Amino acid sequence: MSSDDDASAVVGATPEVARTPLTATLENGLTIVYEAMPWLPSVSATLVLPFGSVSDPEGFEGAATVLHEWMQRGAGDLDSRALSDALEDLGVRRGGGSSRESSSLTASFLASELEAVMPLFASMVTSPRLDDAEFEAARELAVQELESLDDSPALRLVDELLAAFVASPQGRSPYGTAEGLAALTPALVREEARRNLRPTGAVLALAGGADWDRVLAAAREAFGGWQGDGVNLPGVQVGKPGRRHVVADSAQVQIGLAFPGPKPGTDEAYVHNVALNVLSGSMGSRLFTEVREKRGLVYSVSAFFRTLRGFGYTVGYAGTTPERADETLAVFLAELERLSEGVTAEELERAKTGMLSALVMQGESSSATAGRLAADVFNLGRARTLQEITAKVEAVTLEDVNEYVATHRLPEPTIVTLGPARVAAGVAQ
Amino acid sequence: MTRAPVDDATPLAGEVAQRLRFDKAVLDNGLAVIGEHNAGAASVAAGFFVHTGARDETPEVAGVSHFLEHMVFKGNERYTAEDINRTFDELGAQYNAFTSEERTVYYGAVLPERLPQLIDLLAELMRPALRQEDFDVEKKVILEEIAMYEDRPHFHVFDISAPLFWSGHPLGNSVLGTKESIGALTREQMLEYFRRRYSPQNLVLAVSGRYDWDAVLEQAERIAGAWPTFEAPRERPEAETAAGRDGVVDPKLNRVHVAYYAPGIAMTDPRRYAAAVLGNVLGDSSGSRLYWELVDKGLADNASLGHEANEDQGAFVGYVSVAPERAEDVIARYQEVLARAQAEPPTPEEWRRAQRKLATGLTLRAETPLGRLTSLGATYQSLGVYQSVAEVVDRVMNAQLETGLELLAARPFDASFVFTLGPGSHEAPR
Repeated sequence: MSSDDDASAVVGATPEVARTPLTATLENGLTIVYEAMPWLPSVSATLVLPFGSVSDPEGFEGAATVLHEWMQRGAGDLDSRALSDALEDLGVRRGGGSSRESSSLTASFLASELEAVMPLFASMVTSPRLDDAEFEAARELAVQELESLDDSPALRLVDELLAAFVASPQGRSPYGTAEGLAALTPALVREEARRNLRPTGAVLALAGGADWDRVLAAAREAFGGWQGDGVNLPGVQVGKPGRRHVVADSAQVQIGLAFPGPKPGTDEAYVHNVALNVLSGSMGSRLFTEVREKRGLVYSVSAFFRTLRGFGYTVGYAGTTPERADETLAVFLAELERLSEGVTAEELERAKTGMLSALVMQGESSSATAGRLAADVFNLGRARTLQEITAKVEAVTLEDVNEYVATHRLPEPTIVTLGPARVAAGVAQ
Repeated sequence: MTRAPVDDATPLAGEVAQRLRFDKAVLDNGLAVIGEHNAGAASVAAGFFVHTGARDETPEVAGVSHFLEHMVFKGNERYTAEDINRTFDELGAQYNAFTSEERTVYYGAVLPERLPQLIDLLAELMRPALRQEDFDVEKKVILEEIAMYEDRPHFHVFDISAPLFWSGHPLGNSVLGTKESIGALTREQMLEYFRRRYSPQNLVLAVSGRYDWDAVLEQAERIAGAWPTFEAPRERPEAETAAGRDGVVDPKLNRVHVAYYAPGIAMTDPRRYAAAVLGNVLGDSSGSRLYWELVDKGLADNASLGHEANEDQGAFVGYVSVAPERAEDVIARYQEVLARAQAEPPTPEEWRRAQRKLATGLTLRAETPLGRLTSLGATYQSLGVYQSVAEVVDRVMNAQLETGLELLAARPFDASFVFTLGPGSHEAPR
């Protein structure tokens, strides 16, 4: 069954839609960034606020995650139930969370509901009720999520690794601590709300099928009356590299490593990222081939570039059964070391092709696009266009990569393992 | 093309729907080739949907479908494993595969000009050599995967409880298998399974996004037209599901992980949209009755329920994560919420809210060709029909509350099965 559509005229002729993020800063300091995806019936929004475990007061670790939960439990004239019902009546899919340096609220909805959704979405930060009656439940949920972490060794590893790697408060767990959570009072978390729910330094990113004038008008209407100065986050400081083993009764040993990398957004960061993609960008990359395909040591192994504000670092992960932990880590480290010997032209080409192709595909999703814009403005201070990122990746040459890896030998990483018994000395000295 | 009620104020949704075109052909050997063409897409996704999974396994070869899914990436006479991975990379493909109880799917997404090479490569996967040395290495990877999921009790609790709920029905079979079944599995057993299940008439090649249909069809004919065909029927025994309580104690756990099951309806039952709405009213992760009773109050950090429709059977499936000392109270409340729904059914407001949430979720998932591919292929494979996203949204928005009441009148939650996996300080009546 064939169609009379002249498909050959379509294939190869990608519609050149201008993918330029539009940015505006409201008088109150809130940055709004939007990318139009006019073919979509939906709009996704991400609101990022500059508070997280990093800003928790000493002794009250977990304040940010409790605030993030509490502020969603009623706002303006609406109590918790009425607010939730109002958003869901509009078909809004909500999300978000509280992390190390930022806390976010996300919403996806049909573009036709934009004007109805925005005031409700904004009210959670502009006029949260923070009712006493909702406080205990919000705290109790945070306590339970912390307890659940014990049953998720892979998530626990990330917390333990960052705690060992980062010396500044960014190393604190976004889940808080049992003591910190127990010490919280409604008055204290209200004070955190007063300090942190501020437009300065916050970013509202949207993407989808609405035009900029509509988006800006709706955002201005909903967020324009919000007032206050933001807080300054401390800079990132790295701890002394070393090895640590956390005893946990699990079937697999979780292996994590971290070391500092180039500042995000710099040319060097693009080169570093391309090199990392040769190492671990795909199932044909070096790590997957050597650790899993040739030796069958793991199901999961990877290395990737991560950013805190103004700070880039590389994280490596592998999970394997205890008797194979030594070999897994040894092969992992050997591959990291071998990178300094250089990559081939074919490897470089494949890594770049994968990165460029992934950019196109992520650009088809409204929520992925809103998330990318929000992260850019939050971490780099501006939203890059897809064309800019594409051009930067395309511009990375074989000489760039090979000079970079030759002059940037693997720094001593922080290595944390988590698993049953103390695994052999090679892993955890 | 049906227009959904939610489209009324959203001309864009209608425009998108009208740009879509469904293509379909069946080769002489029974291989179905289908496509949903979207001229506005920037990428294209393609996948082979194999109508085989854990439910088609005998106990001796438990886990073979999933192990085989890994093995097809090891290549054949023309491609080594490294060749396969390298070629996917050269195409810039986002690709993977998954195995469920009912199907095994191999898929990838690329820029439109690279679709022919992607289909070539996916087709090579369907003709694997299953070499002994690859089998031996990959067996270790599968055993690591089993160990990994053991460390994920929210997953593991379903793996160990499903066989009990389904009482020997093959829908309860574990996708992963066990250390023992995988340890004992031989290459010959896998080859025998492959030869019995991977027939062209048991396969669908699905494409979504921007493509040239004539070229796709010509290529499919050229590559796969000569694949020998044979009958590969699926056994469909009647299910008699279990009710009551059971559990396993694992002292290393910190929380009690609860799997909940109640009888549901099949994918072929037209009431399945109403069942999905009902499941959402009762157990969506936010704003549902279970959410307000348990999560909002801080009694459990997760308490959810949804309806899962399989080809010939379905179930309401739920999950709770709770502190051991609260487990019995929370399980009782969870069951009470569902039992009460049989007497106090959803209000029109609750029903409408759930419909709209589901509609938004469906629309968002379909934004990308890769996000669209799974439902396109699975619906065609299991039901033999094409359904656009607009049509599914339409069915959800038109699902009647009366149908929900009819489902509740059968009192499904009276026949629930509750399984706990926890540290043992809670009381689990056996």
